[in-house]
Formats: sequence, C-alpha cells, structure tokens
Amino acid sequence: MGSKTEELFRSCIRCGLCLSVCPSYRETLNETDSPRGRVALVRAATEDGLQPGENYADKFFRCLLCASCENICPSGVVLAQLLQETREDIAQRALLPQRLAELDAAIAANHNVSGEANAQRLMWADNLERAPSGLDKEQAEIAYFVGCVGSFFPRSYSVPRTFVEILERAGVDYALLGDLEWCCGYPQFINGELDLAKEAIHHNVEKVAALGARRVAFTCPSCYHIWKHVYPEVLGHELDLELLHATELLDQLTAEGQIELGPFPRKVTYHDPCDLGRKSGVYDAPRRILERIPGLVLVEMEENRENAHCCGGGGNLESHNAALAGQIAERRARQAAETGADVIVSACQQCERTLGGAARAIRLRMRVMDVSEVVLQAMDAARRQSTEVQNR
Amino acid sequence: MIERAIRNELEAIVGPGHLLTSPEDLVCYSYDGTFAECRPDAIASPNTTDQVSAILALASREGIPIVPRGMASGLAAGTVPFGGGLVLNLTRMNRILEIDRENLTATAQCGVITADLAAAVETEGLFYPPDPASIRQSTLGGNAACNSGGPRCLKYGVTGDYVMALEAVLPDGRVLRTGNKCLKDVTGYDLVHLLVGSEGTLAVITEVTVRLLPLPEAKRTALAIFPDIGHASQVVNQILFAGVLPATLEIVDETAIQCVEAYLHAGLDCTAEAMLIVETDGDPETAQREIERVAEVCRQGGASDVQIARTSAESDELWRARRSVSPSLGRVRPNKLGEDIVVPRAAIPEMVRRIKRIALEHDVPIVIFGHAGDGNLHPNILFDKRDEAELRRVEAAVADLFANAVDLGGTLSGEHGVGVLKQPYLEMALGPLAIEVMQGIKHAFDPKGILNPGKVLPAEAYSN
Repeated sequence: MGSKTEELFRSCIRCGLCLSVCPSYRETLNETDSPRGRVALVRAATEDGLQPGENYADKFFRCLLCASCENICPSGVVLAQLLQETREDIAQRALLPQRLAELDAAIAANHNVSGEANAQRLMWADNLERAPSGLDKEQAEIAYFVGCVGSFFPRSYSVPRTFVEILERAGVDYALLGDLEWCCGYPQFINGELDLAKEAIHHNVEKVAALGARRVAFTCPSCYHIWKHVYPEVLGHELDLELLHATELLDQLTAEGQIELGPFPRKVTYHDPCDLGRKSGVYDAPRRILERIPGLVLVEMEENRENAHCCGGGGNLESHNAALAGQIAERRARQAAETGADVIVSACQQCERTLGGAARAIRLRMRVMDVSEVVLQAMDAARRQSTEVQNR
Repeated sequence: MIERAIRNELEAIVGPGHLLTSPEDLVCYSYDGTFAECRPDAIASPNTTDQVSAILALASREGIPIVPRGMASGLAAGTVPFGGGLVLNLTRMNRILEIDRENLTATAQCGVITADLAAAVETEGLFYPPDPASIRQSTLGGNAACNSGGPRCLKYGVTGDYVMALEAVLPDGRVLRTGNKCLKDVTGYDLVHLLVGSEGTLAVITEVTVRLLPLPEAKRTALAIFPDIGHASQVVNQILFAGVLPATLEIVDETAIQCVEAYLHAGLDCTAEAMLIVETDGDPETAQREIERVAEVCRQGGASDVQIARTSAESDELWRARRSVSPSLGRVRPNKLGEDIVVPRAAIPEMVRRIKRIALEHDVPIVIFGHAGDGNLHPNILFDKRDEAELRRVEAAVADLFANAVDLGGTLSGEHGVGVLKQPYLEMALGPLAIEVMQGIKHAFDPKGILNPGKVLPAEAYSN
C-alpha cells in the first residue's frame, strides 16, 4: 500500500473510542471487527509482515462504511478514506469475496444490481393508474434518477411511485431515463472496483445531459452520494448540474407551498441514512419536511444526525454477511422503538428495507416509511379536507 | 505457541467461533491504548463464569499465560500480551444482573461498558459516580481491576470506593465470591480491595457489585481561562479553601487547549496558558451558589474569563472539551506517553513548574492536563517512536517526572496503574519491603505465575 494510506493510519492513538459507535463491533464485541482493529490490520499489512488473504479481506467487508468511526475519532484519522482505499487494495490483490466480485461483474454486464435485463427497469411503473408523465419526455428541467433498488425490488417500488406522484401533483417538470438509466456504480465503487463503473458513469451523465436537465433528483442516498462525491473525480471535472436528494427537493416544494400538507397525526422518528447524513451532510431537509406536517410529532432517537447508528444495509454487508447485517438492523429498530414512535421514517429505500425486515423479525409494531410516503399521505389528507369543506 | 489439542479443548469450552487464532485476530489483540504491542497465541471469548473457570483450570494445568482484557483502553500496557499466551476477551460477559433500589447497589458482569451501567442506573434515578475519560470504551471489570479514577473522584472517590463485592476466578479455576452489600464489613481480610487495582495479576474479576448514590438533582459547570498556568494551579487550592468541594476540578494546559480546539472547533481561547473546568452538584440552589463562588475565586485568582454553562447542553460541550484532550493529542505527534503522576494537592503548583522545566531540559513537548483537584496530573509526552534519539529523551524525561513526583510526596500513578510501563520505577516509589510483601501476595494467589505475567511486578520475581 502506498505512503498516502500510511499517513492515514499513523495518527491512530488506539484510544478505542471508535469501538463504542462501530455497528459491527457492537454486535460481535470482537476487536477484529472494530475500526481500531481495522487500522491495526492495515498497519500490520503495510509494515509488519501481515500477508493479506481471504480472512483479511473478510474483515474489511464486515465494515458498513458508515463513517461513524471517523465522525467520533478525536485524533482525526480519516477512516472513511482509509477503509475505502483498503477495499481497493483488496480488489487489486484479487481478494474480493466471490459474491461481491460476481455482483460487480453482473452490474457491468446488465447495468443493474438485480441480474435482470435492464429493459425491465420500469417495472415499478407498471399497473399505475396513469403512466408517469416523465416517461415520454425528451426535455425536462429535472431528471429523476430512480436507482436499482427502487426499480427492481418489488418491496421498494413504492418509493419511486410515491415520489413521481408527488412530482406530478406539484406540477414539476421532470423526466425519467427508463432503461437508459444504468446502475450508478456505487456497489462497484465500495467494492474497490470503481474501474468497472466508469463506462456507466459517463453514460449516465451523457443521458441526463441529453434531456437538457439542470437538476438531478435522487430517492436513493447512495446514488446521490456517488454522483456528488465520485462522479466529478471520474469525469475529471465538476458536474454542471444541481444534484438534489428527494428530501431536498421536497423541502423546497413544501416550503414554497407547491404542496399542501394535511394532518398525519402519528408519532414518528427519523432515521438518518449514512450516505445522506454523515456522508453528505443532509440532516435538516427531511426534518423540516416532517415538522411542516400538521399533527405529526417528530421524536429523535438517542443516536441521531451525525451520531446515527447504521441500519445494517451499508457497505454491501448484506451481500457479504446477511446475518450480521440483520443483527445491526435489529439494534437500530430497537433504538427506534425506544422513542415510543409508531412510525420509523427514513429517506433511503435500503434503510427502509433493512429496518422493515428487522422490525418484522423482532415483532415490533412499527411501520417503516419513506419521507415521500409520509408527504403523499399528508397531501391526500389535505385533499380530503378540502373536499369535505366543499361538500359542506 | 498453544498446541492443537489444547486449542481444541479451549474451543470446546467457549464454543465455535469464540476461540480466535487467525493472524488478523492476533494483530487486533496485540495492543491497548499505549504504543506497546505484542501478539498473543490465541484469544478466547468466554461468556459465563463457568467458561472462565474452565479456561483457567486448563491454563493452570498447561502453564499457559492468561491476559484478561476488557476493551483495552488501558494506558499502562497492562493488557498487552508480552509473553504471548492466551488473551481472555471478556467483552461478551456484558449483562447487568441487578439494580437493587433498596440497598442502592448494582451488580453486573465484568464486560459491561461502564457508560451503559451509568446510563442504566440513571434511568432509575440513581448515580454511579466513577467516570474515567474512557467511560464509553472501558468495562466495569477493567475499571475494577485497574481501580480507575476520573474527574469526579475529587468529591466522589475512585472505582474502588464503590466496589462492594466481587466474583473472581482464581488462577486454578476456583470461583471466589467475596464482599457483600453491607456498608460495614470487617470480617477477615478485605479481599475485595486487594483484587481492586490488581490489574488482573491475582484473579480474573467476572462480576462486580457496586454501591450507588441518589442522582444529584443539579449540576453547574464553569470554565475559567488563565493567561498564567501558575495562577491556575494556585486557584485549585483556593477554591477548596473557600469552602467549596466541587464534583470535579480539571486543569488543561495551552498545548492541550490547542489540540482540542483543532478537533472540536469549540471557540476555545488558544492563547491562554491554562483553563480550569469546574463542576458543582447537589440541589439546584447549592450547585448554583457554589459555582458562583468558584467563578469569583477564579476571577480573583487571575482568570481572564469565566463562563458558567447555562444549560446542560452547554455543560456537555464544556465537558466534551476535557474528554477530548487525551485522544486529540495524536494531532501533534503520532505517539504519546500519557503519564499519571499524583502529588499531594498542596504540591500542584510546584509540580507544574517542575514538569515545565523537565520538558525544556529533555527537549520533548509535554502537555499537562488532569484532575488538579485531587493532585492527579497527566503530563503527556508527545513523540514519534520511529525517532530513536527522541525515544531516549522521552525515557529520560519520564524517569525525571517520576523522581520529582516522589520527591514531592507523590507517586507514579493515580489511576492508570503500573502495567509494564511504570514497572522500572516501582521500587523507587514503594521501597523494597513493600515489593517483597506484594510478591508474597502474588505467590499466594498465583503460585504458577500464569495470570497476566510481567504486569505490576516483574515476571522473574515470582516465576518460581
């Protein structure tokens, strides 16, 4: 490994504070699954004769890349970069766990994470009462980049369906890329194989440019994160586009009054997705939206905002070790239950999937919803209220 | 090297997946919170006292060194397995067994994180005062084994003042239960407090019963900035003379202020030579009256600015600054040697002067912070261990620090323990007779010398 990585681990003074927040350590209570341990492994491989093999690789793919360690590190160790670079080093040594290598190859071949033909990318839009108006547009102000999970995983269809319905009702000029949308490259990036994603990155940017769009909206925080933080590096220049997570767009629309919100009288707690919160700094937009909804009571989990505990769905851990991912998700679901809320709201289809699964597994009577789903219900409530007023 | 047959026996005790032997695992259990390291032969992670007992019986039979370990945030290399052997990772033993509201006690397994215990008793309106800076990354068993202190010990005392009973496994595997929930007990030798602070060299503590207090209703925190560190150290005693016994009274010097500011961006005055962080607690009126008295004494004693936190959030922010000192020093130099000398309170100003002189004489940066109220200072020497000349200057400076602390009526360690790092100075601090008595105690508990060998006392002294 290069001298750059060496500088990254040099300042670890082994205080161990990162153990207290690391989701994988908190489950296994094994130092080898801790950030301090991972730093020690990189150092041992760099200067102390440790020979990286399969077991070494496993330790780095049991990490969620949630960055909670970097957030708490008082010594300023840039752990997110160190852990990412180590994954790249592992991939270069051909030590990538086989399932993850297969995933990356499948994405490169099919342009999505599901293994299905990319032509199926609009399945989520089948059986809607009316086809999204954004489907046939050749030009639009906003391109909505749906992402693979929302497009291909039936349990997550509701996220793009809801978001599109809101855009329609708010009269937003938007377009969908349909099967011209390719996987954003995030899974390959975090597996340390960014090279495999370069073609897709160029492709996606060209297709968005062809729509004449000035803005790109994302419901998936991971797509948003890679577009924002990695695409410019691959392209060699900044994007001439405004990149917005759905919550940032909905924040604008609800503030400007383009959306009318009726009551949603439930106690909710908001789970910060790592890619949106800690790794992109978007904490306030989703909370502002929720606070504008009449009757909604927002309560915070003890670990919130930059201290939010990962849902277990990060870092491709679910593909690598589903059991560990599940345990982590259950801890987060329990934290949500401790608030007494009856709804867990998030802004990421992956968090919602893992937290929903955990809530079912431990028999919590809590619903898991996306911010946009809550917004749509509040819009429906507003509509019902105005109909009632007219009928009176 | 632990033979395959023995490894199989160990795995049968702890269950599959809880005996670790891969090179990666050995690397990750080779260190603690210091720069010292040495890889063990294996790591066993038991989750019951019976498993600990079976492991020790086996280790005793086979003569395998055992190094008990919590979260390894220690600052004396006490859990570094220098002679190899088996690391006993106790973090899985993390159940809180009982919170007894009537007797005001809590009982927990050794691997419970101290912050989790403190939070659990607080939800019952109770208070577990010991608060080592590592409260989030250290365990109750580790705190008991090292008799950890923390900022609050000026008023509330150290971990050992709260430990009432222990379950501990002797090196041959027998399980000793000692102590009880009684506030008075003179029935026989005080084995509880013999084991507290013994750094895992006499027995493996598996369960701890601690005394609790009613949670103080209110806390008030003040932060005072001093252009002159000499004034700050004198004010420590003036506050106590003024009739106030603060819950905590912490001092932080200029380098530490600068490091913390670089980490937190809290707006600390980086030109100040020192700051004091003082907390009073009790009923709201008393806490407020006392903190105002503290502020007045600080101003009269040379503080250029005194802030009193108005909310608990502001108070937490002031505390975050203090807790961040030790870890944020990595920003200056890659390695630090965090010393832990303690002197009688009246000697604090003189000790601070001497530390400054030692830093100059040996040409090494020394940062001073610590629990000034109880005389426990943490001079931290910053260095890069790859620079051998610098390393030798550090060693000379350490020897000088210890000699000066002892000269002023103090000693080597207030709360970190001896481990390995302070061993060379032990005789200077204690004298030969005390060491001989300690060797006798070690031999009575651990005749084969398998428990944390080479810690506190040199290994060869009891190896036969």
